[in-house]
Amino acid sequence: MTNNNGNYVTIKGTKEGLTIVLNDQCSFHELLEELKKKIEREQRLFENGPQVEVRVDAGNRYLSKSHEEEITEVLNKTGSVRVHEVHSNVMTKGEAQEVIEKATVTSVTQIVRSGQVLRKTGDILIIGDVNPGGVVEATGNIYVIGALKGIARAGTEGESHAVVCASVMIPKQISISDTYFYAPEKHEKQEQKPAIEGPGYAYVTGEEYKAIAFEETKMLGHYLRSVSYT
Amino acid sequence: MVGEAIVITSGKGGVGKTTTSANIGTALALQGQKVCLIDTDIGLRNLDVVMGLENRIIYDLVDAAEGRCKVQQALIRDKRFDCLHLLPAAQTKDKSAVNPEQMQEIVETLRPEYDFILIDCPAGIEQGFKNAVSGADKAIVVTTPDTAAVRDADRIIGLLENEDIEPPKLVVNRVRSDLSREGNVLDVEDVVATLAVDLLGMIVDEEHVLKAAHKGEPIAMNPNSRASLGYRNIARRLLGESVPLMAVEEKKSFFSKMKSLFGIKS
Ligand SMILES: Nc1ncnc2c1ncn2[C@@H]1O[C@H](COP(=O)(O)OP(=O)(O)O)[C@@H](O)[C@H]1O
Ligand SMILES: [Mg+2]
Repeated sequence: MTNNNGNYVTIKGTKEGLTIVLNDQCSFHELLEELKKKIEREQRLFENGPQVEVRVDAGNRYLSKSHEEEITEVLNKTGSVRVHEVHSNVMTKGEAQEVIEKATVTSVTQIVRSGQVLRKTGDILIIGDVNPGGVVEATGNIYVIGALKGIARAGTEGESHAVVCASVMIPKQISISDTYFYAPEKHEKQEQKPAIEGPGYAYVTGEEYKAIAFEETKMLGHYLRSVSYT
Repeated sequence: MVGEAIVITSGKGGVGKTTTSANIGTALALQGQKVCLIDTDIGLRNLDVVMGLENRIIYDLVDAAEGRCKVQQALIRDKRFDCLHLLPAAQTKDKSAVNPEQMQEIVETLRPEYDFILIDCPAGIEQGFKNAVSGADKAIVVTTPDTAAVRDADRIIGLLENEDIEPPKLVVNRVRSDLSREGNVLDVEDVVATLAVDLLGMIVDEEHVLKAAHKGEPIAMNPNSRASLGYRNIARRLLGESVPLMAVEEKKSFFSKMKSLFGIKS
């Protein structure tokens, strides 16, 4: 069925720019063929103008990575179109599972002792201490109801707005995404003071030169609201 | 009789596992308990030396494990006590000469004959540790009050949590009075706070301990030593008595020092 009256691909102008809406009922092959034709036909529309950003909306069609690449390639060939995003309402069970995991808080009641590594997707809530030599890793935030005396790694998949929160903050090392904090070595500083007195959290500050800073826990809500706008 | 099998372990070497095994064993035997000590530090045996029982060894733990002799044949009897026996480690083999199943079998063979079976564990977290722990139903973790030993004790406690064994009890060894403490030495209360396990007792750092080991006469036999008193108190606590932690451990002068060490106002 090659004659489809050109209904599979619609180009729409919106506030955000151009959106290419793809039919989600036909076969992918038919869709791609029509997209190619349409782009050829509309070549003039794109040719001389400035570069346009387009958003592709695949509706309720599941797009594999390679399908997504094929679509992007067809559009990018025109030279003046740049694909900003390929959107689909559908994801695999696996992807959905990942989204759920990332949004969960796993709570653990134990002391994370020397040599132990506790690693979770999402946020971790530890009721207990993290002792020197113990490591906690989360793709999201880390909350310790107790003393953090070991190593905490938050945002391990790149989330730089993640935080590490502890009732007693005496970490040996903290990392948030790729920003690090190291406690001073004993020979550098005799007194092993907490990074902050009382309950606190660690977060990433700075634009060009990123660093980890500490703040009192009562300010955490303020911080989380401020980063949710960016 | 169904004896308790207790492993004495630490992670780090040289913190006093062997000394603790020998002296808790001696202190229990002084209380009329039937005690068997097992040295699992194959290749580096020295519990026999500390106990002064090195010259009569014919068979050892590996012989018993491999069936070259009966377990009873390998036991050395300590003539100073009604019932204190030692199963010595082999000196010429290594830790892999015994496996956990064999250890369990040996402990089960001995269990009906004794009140306490004390298992002296080698340093480390490998095969030797696994062997020593496999036969035990309780554990005593020994540490000294310094950062490295406490770190290793913490590691060991973490590993013990994965075993089918009661939560371990802590012995802090080589505690010094605050006057002679220096540098990297931690307070006992900091040690207990970090490890978050029950404190079974603390033993002072004392020259007599070394001399006693040299003579093959465990310090617990000496009624005039503060370390000895510490071990005797641990034995009484193991027998279910509630002995206050500090009150009777030391002579008056030391007691007041300990009180200040613990921040107790007199
Ligand atoms: N409370 C103590 N005071 C003084 N010296 C001690 C004390 N406890 C142990 N030692 C000494 O420390 C050394 C190591 O003790 P040991 O029991 O062999 O340790 P481990 O079995 O853990 O390797 C020995 O020389 C021992 O005499
Ligand atoms: Mg030893």
